[in-house]
Amino acid sequence: MSRTSIVALVLFIAALGYLLSFDTAGTRKLQAGVYQLIAPFLTTGSGLEKQITSVRSGLKSLQDLEAENNSLRVENRSLRATNQALRDVEHEVNRLRHALNYRERAAFKLVPAEVVTRDSSTWWRTVTINRGKEDGIEPDMPVVTDEGLVGKTTTVSRAISIVLLVSDENCRVAANVEGTREQGIVTGERVIGTVTPLLELSFLSKQANLQPGQKVYTSGVGGVFPPGLLLGMVKSFRVRELDGQAQLNPAVDLSKLEDVFVVTGRK
Amino acid sequence: MIFFVILMGLVFMAQIVEFFIPPLDWMYNAHIYITPMLVFYGAMALPFPLMLVLAFWAGFLLDTFNTQVVGTHVEISLGSSILLYAVLAGIMHGLRPLFARGRWEVHCIMSGLCTSAILLGQYLMLSFRRGSLFFSREVWWQIGGPGLLAMLMAPLVFWMLHWLARATAYPYLPRRELRI
Repeated sequence: MSRTSIVALVLFIAALGYLLSFDTAGTRKLQAGVYQLIAPFLTTGSGLEKQITSVRSGLKSLQDLEAENNSLRVENRSLRATNQALRDVEHEVNRLRHALNYRERAAFKLVPAEVVTRDSSTWWRTVTINRGKEDGIEPDMPVVTDEGLVGKTTTVSRAISIVLLVSDENCRVAANVEGTREQGIVTGERVIGTVTPLLELSFLSKQANLQPGQKVYTSGVGGVFPPGLLLGMVKSFRVRELDGQAQLNPAVDLSKLEDVFVVTGRK
Repeated sequence: MIFFVILMGLVFMAQIVEFFIPPLDWMYNAHIYITPMLVFYGAMALPFPLMLVLAFWAGFLLDTFNTQVVGTHVEISLGSSILLYAVLAGIMHGLRPLFARGRWEVHCIMSGLCTSAILLGQYLMLSFRRGSLFFSREVWWQIGGPGLLAMLMAPLVFWMLHWLARATAYPYLPRRELRI
């Protein structure tokens, strides 16, 4: 091994040792700094992704129309394309109006945010949102939609934040079941093999006998999540050796998140 | 040196692009990873010190982009991916004599295996942290799937990087043309 290689190896080990010695606060700070630096890349990429998706969906509907109307003339195509563009705008307006209504009737102070990226890793379920410290966001704030709980913020940089989804095994939420005294802990699965993940409600009593369709809400225990946020609906219930466990369909379709709200406090 | 800088830039870009590549639902939600292929090509084509720098850079990015900080604990310590990349890149670097002779099929297969090895390493670390270890069909697909995809993509990626190296007059390439 040459002298340069040995020096490089020593420097490598020293730098690695330095990074491995980072505590939680240091790691969070470094991660927030890096995310702040890459924020422009992520927001630009997100914009491009939306444009591409929009073009793709436009082409798809044109194909459908062509199959149904072979005799359409060129001007008709042009008119339909214009119509499609207007429908996109209408969809956007409806979406924002829906979000605004929810914000006004909610009992919490909500900061609206847009999902910039979805989980890029195999083992962790997170999304990135385009709001950060400058919008009053802090770590461990609940993130919701009008349909229910999405997750909580973890690392927060100046203009961008990471949200840990309820479908992650590390996101534990105290919950109770509608119409019963049953309480338990909702967690995600470690490995998700389908597009729509399921949640697990554990530590129920063996006699719980939950029925499919029963709603599960946050109980407020633990302090991070306020009570009364919908988590999901019971899919199935089984009795284990020590407790009862239910599988839930999440209230929010986590694979299609676009707009979310960060709960910054009560009104 | 220009090639090395470009490779570092490509690793950064690939890591950003991976944010926008959706998982493959027909493959049990397996992800597509481009970065490991770039790093493993670098491991073959670069001298040892630069290979270490590249592994450090890729591992640092992977850790900072993915490390999960929940409450008061970090799921996988910052630096773990650097170690994984360095060890695997070191193995690939050990196969450099083959690369120097113009052979690269072994490296394509190794690139896939090493991609899966990174995922396996991460899975073992987080399972250790969470206190339970299990292997289901989904787990195997999410570890093996990206590796299989990497094996399929590696010839194209390696060919493009090789072309880039020649275009930038990189001097540390095999004397003979790469061939399969």
